[in-house]
Amino acid sequence: MASRRTARHDAEHGVRFSRTIFIMLIVVSSALIMFDRPASRSVAFAGFRASFTDIAAPLLELAAQPIRAVKGIGPYFRMQGDLAAENAELRQQLIEARYWEDLAYRQRDRIEVYESALNVQTQATQDRIGAWTVADPRGPFVHARLIGRGRNAGIADGYPVINLYGLVGRVYETGERSARVLLLTDLNSNIPVMVDRSNSRAILTGDNSEYPRLQYLGRNPDIEAGDRIVSSGDDGVLPRGLPVGVAVPTRDGGWRVELYSDQAPIDFVWVWPYVPAVIPQREEAETASAEVETDLPAPAETASVEAGDTAQPATEEGGQ
Amino acid sequence: MRKPKERSAPYWSALGCVLSVVAALLFQAAPTRLIEGITIMPTWPLMVIFLWSGLRPYFMPPIAVFAIGITQDLLTGAPMGIWALSYLVSISVFRFRGEDGMPRDLPPIVLRFGGTLLLAQAIAFSAGFFALGEMPHLQPLIIETIASILMFPMLAFLAVRRRRGSRSGFIGG
Repeated sequence: MASRRTARHDAEHGVRFSRTIFIMLIVVSSALIMFDRPASRSVAFAGFRASFTDIAAPLLELAAQPIRAVKGIGPYFRMQGDLAAENAELRQQLIEARYWEDLAYRQRDRIEVYESALNVQTQATQDRIGAWTVADPRGPFVHARLIGRGRNAGIADGYPVINLYGLVGRVYETGERSARVLLLTDLNSNIPVMVDRSNSRAILTGDNSEYPRLQYLGRNPDIEAGDRIVSSGDDGVLPRGLPVGVAVPTRDGGWRVELYSDQAPIDFVWVWPYVPAVIPQREEAETASAEVETDLPAPAETASVEAGDTAQPATEEGGQ
Repeated sequence: MRKPKERSAPYWSALGCVLSVVAALLFQAAPTRLIEGITIMPTWPLMVIFLWSGLRPYFMPPIAVFAIGITQDLLTGAPMGIWALSYLVSISVFRFRGEDGMPRDLPPIVLRFGGTLLLAQAIAFSAGFFALGEMPHLQPLIIETIASILMFPMLAFLAVRRRRGSRSGFIGG
């Protein structure tokens, strides 16, 4: 007994909480906190983080499989009694959806005509990239999710992420096989939005609570409780009109948004490789101005033209 | 007769330690919210670190605690170093010391874990405030703390029970 105890004690002795290593690690941790701030994260840190998530993604995907397998069990037992009523409600919704489907087709045809007339090249809606959530950590610092697709699938930083109900967030820290989605509720999320009814502009700012704030609404904003909030597309990063949520007044006179995307747990999402459309008039104007610039004589030539000389003698004079 | 078993025991314990750490980290990051009813998540990694640092202190040197913290930071998307610093400091303050190591009774273990947890969350909150430049949301931390305090006695009971059944009287450092 005594010999065994001594042996183990000796074995432990070499790997105890070493004070030097402990202090060193404290310093390293503090340095990391100082330099890995989300607001000013360097490319090297972002690259390291993305590489780590690339390695961890397959393992997380594996761990998420059993959770996905059992996710329907709870609702299945709970809703057995409500199935008939739900079925009737769904049928009614299907009838209404058919009207909207017909309208959507007509609008699509109409937009195609406009686009062809204006020669606008926009991303087709079917170009969205589907991805499963592989990690959904919850914590006080960052509201983000990890999806199991990355640069290999065509995903890049800044792309909007949507689910069945509305805008979820934006992509950041894109790796080869994984990407992190910054949710609208995160502290670092700022999205330009507008009130669908009145076109009043605002910035949707996350504060790590469930309901992000509406800021910079103006002095007399035209907004009411229950108004539909959509993305305004003013930043040129997000497309205009993506459904975001419903306006909710707060006690202090401000406004917050109840997000559509929170209607169900976020499992499957679409990443929209959105590229802002180039305005044809501006493009044409830029091309035209470039052409004019190439046709224009050099400053020396211009001066001589203004003086009444011809371009040829001026050039010859300049050359001599 | 017992010798070969005795020699292999640390390896099995080491394997158990590694697997429990990996499972804790994965479970912390997994999309468990998909399952209806699971809306709160205890701090699994801290529980595992605390228990292993009591059961087998040589499995949890500072570098291992640091590595677990950094991995959690990277998996959760938090600024690197927050959980690493928090776990390092809290475990170093509240870990079991002395010849007897972790006691065999549940209440002192739970009590000490409570202290570890509160200190860890306080450090994480302060570090997060510094890193983000804004006050982190307190509610998830409180929920996490309550869930951990409620869940920990079950894990600690299993660990203590295993210890009572073990041959050696000495565990800890």
